Amino acid sequence: MASLVRIGGGGSSATEYVVRVPKNTAKKYSIMAFNAGDKVNCSTWTQARMERDMSNRRMYAEEEATEGAAGSEFGKKQREEARRKKYGIITREFKAEDQPWILKVNGKAGKRFKGQKKGGVTENASYYIFTQCPDGAFEAFPVHGWYNFTPQAKHRTLTAEEAEEEWGRRNKVVNHFSIMVQRRFREPERGDDEEEEGEKGGKKKKKGGRGGDLRIHDLEDDLEMSSDDSDSSMGEDGEGKSKKKKGSKRNAAEDSDDGDFEGVEVDYMSDDTSSEEDEPEKVKPSKTEDVPKGVDEMSDSEEESEEEKQNEEETKEEEEEEEGKKTPVHMEKKKKKGEKDSSGESDTSDDSDIEGEAASALFMKKRTPPKRGGGRGSTGSSRTGSRPGTPSIDSGSTSNTLRAAANKLEQSKRQMPPVSSETPAAKRLKMEPSPQSPQPSGKSTPQPASGKSTPSSSDVQLTEEAVRRYLIRKPMTTKDLLKKFQTKRTGLSSDQTVNVLAQILKRLNPERKNINDKMHFYLTE
Amino acid sequence: MSDKGDVDLTGAKQNTGVWLVKVPKYLSQQWAKSSGRGEVGKLRISKQQGKAEVSFTLNEELTTIDGIGEKAALVRAPREHPFTMQTVGGQTLAVFTESSSGETWQLGTPVGYKIALEGVVVQRAECRPAVSDNYMRLKRLQIEESSKPVRYSQQLEKPVTTNYKPVANHANNLEYDKKKKEEGKRARADKQQVLDMLFSAFEKHQYYNIKDLVDITKQPVIYLKEILRDIGTYNVKGTHKNTWELRPEYRHYQGEEKSE
Repeated sequence: MASLVRIGGGGSSATEYVVRVPKNTAKKYSIMAFNAGDKVNCSTWTQARMERDMSNRRMYAEEEATEGAAGSEFGKKQREEARRKKYGIITREFKAEDQPWILKVNGKAGKRFKGQKKGGVTENASYYIFTQCPDGAFEAFPVHGWYNFTPQAKHRTLTAEEAEEEWGRRNKVVNHFSIMVQRRFREPERGDDEEEEGEKGGKKKKKGGRGGDLRIHDLEDDLEMSSDDSDSSMGEDGEGKSKKKKGSKRNAAEDSDDGDFEGVEVDYMSDDTSSEEDEPEKVKPSKTEDVPKGVDEMSDSEEESEEEKQNEEETKEEEEEEEGKKTPVHMEKKKKKGEKDSSGESDTSDDSDIEGEAASALFMKKRTPPKRGGGRGSTGSSRTGSRPGTPSIDSGSTSNTLRAAANKLEQSKRQMPPVSSETPAAKRLKMEPSPQSPQPSGKSTPQPASGKSTPSSSDVQLTEEAVRRYLIRKPMTTKDLLKKFQTKRTGLSSDQTVNVLAQILKRLNPERKNINDKMHFYLTE
Repeated sequence: MSDKGDVDLTGAKQNTGVWLVKVPKYLSQQWAKSSGRGEVGKLRISKQQGKAEVSFTLNEELTTIDGIGEKAALVRAPREHPFTMQTVGGQTLAVFTESSSGETWQLGTPVGYKIALEGVVVQRAECRPAVSDNYMRLKRLQIEESSKPVRYSQQLEKPVTTNYKPVANHANNLEYDKKKKEEGKRARADKQQVLDMLFSAFEKHQYYNIKDLVDITKQPVIYLKEILRDIGTYNVKGTHKNTWELRPEYRHYQGEEKSE
């Protein structure tokens, strides 16, 4: 039988085709509908995978709370069933047929689509797919389902809380790119210092510029002044700004501590510097925030040091400017110490000594004594000076005037490279007794071990044996371990300490446990 | 062998064009009745003055309607169905098929399941019946059928007397009484034995109703309660209301991490 008949006549040509509706096909036809705006071209797909999205299965699964002895009741299931029947509760079943599709095109890097079933398609009218066969006849297949496929966003989006936050700031924020960048930084604070660092390094200048941009809009007015100043005086403050911005962003989440310390009365050891202090102040907290988090990850020791280095720079600068300012130090200490012993003290004690120590501790190893000696102008440098017992490397150089600060900055910049960052050690050494460096002229109050019980003065070698002992005794975080092997005692630099400790830990391969959201190591002998 | 998630993209690559046609319900019903190779009719495509006209003619044998009632025999499905052609619009409509070779299911999708992209829709059409008296009658029939209520009242002439005849004693009751007699009154067993039974029961579940315990141990209630008072406590409040559970010192549940 001819499936194709040409009918001519009357100026119009017509062709007739036979229509077949094949029976019993194993194939079920469905429609995959894309939105016009997505401009999807199926012929460009090289590879595609499609599966049902079974994530809703849990919703329908009966909750099996506890099976077995504890907490279970005799005949609970029957009772539940009887109760449902009594109240007429009907739970909808999980039908695999109705679940959405997940379509992945061109592998992992390609697009993702979610196809949701459109209801009501086959109720009143049936859709058929007419395909032309090689013999010219048409075959009609009924459509079993219609799925609307929508592309799924791969980029990160803000959560509801974050979106609310940003909405509140929409009038102030000019630079929207940074919103996501900030968020990314905030997220993996512990695990992703690397990323942070890379970002920081790479985008220093960019962020600096943006940071400045943002800063003017975002932070309190009094910072505007400092921003201009800092622009000029603090040369490589790019990171500083970015850090500050970051810090301020972080702080904003905590309701912006920055402004809290504005009007606080502090007794200045020497001449006070005004606006300069604000900026470094802010930078310090932001910086120090990063630091304790960095320390947590032993493996990121490098990043740590990097970070610390930058941190140091900032803090150093700050130190130079402001001195007796307790609050910034306070914050710094607070954030630096993180928690536990030290933080307790630092937080509560307003002892300028302690703060001084802490502040100076940051600079401990950074400033190599000889180099510092130079451009020190007047004494009384806030940097480490006035802080009693601060192991200030620049003995006696305690200039806290702007000029001196600027000088110092330049020096520090010059000296930064050779100085290996030892902030981890520095932080740990906050209680470091004065042997480090002579007392500056400013203060005479002896620096106690800041009330914190100084670890035994005996030298503790950083050996596998020692680490093993500690870990057997009780689970410890990397931070704890670092504290045990303070650089003063072991005679190693903080970098080395970190490296050696990392190696030891690799060798020991301790077990990990998460206590209070912190990763602890421990050994069982 | 391709993974079941993989989509066969041959249709998409060839850019096979298909038509998506909306067909009225009655017509699809008629098509379902087709026999043999599934031929249902003929499609005529003609070009008149630049516009394409498509029309479908239903085969003669498929025009009979199966319906209930006398009217159905008179009505026949219309044969002529012009197609209204529409453009796809901006939307991209692809056609994919799922085919399963075998009915074994695994992880939600049948094994041997294959998804293939058949092609892309290039034309949309609507199949409309050519309006005729025949069609009107058919429609009327349909409406009548659908407007009939699902439930209807029917008058009975004689009352129903097949159920609920008076009985001296129901069969159910008789059984029950016999069972009771057999069982007899529950006898107090040895206290130790009862304790053993209780402990083994509490090993299985933590909370028990007194009735269930009576059932399990086959002891008189008072006796059982006495024993329970020794070794267990009665939960008055909370989620497990009115249930008995063992005292903590006797408990040894894994989940609780309590030990004797």
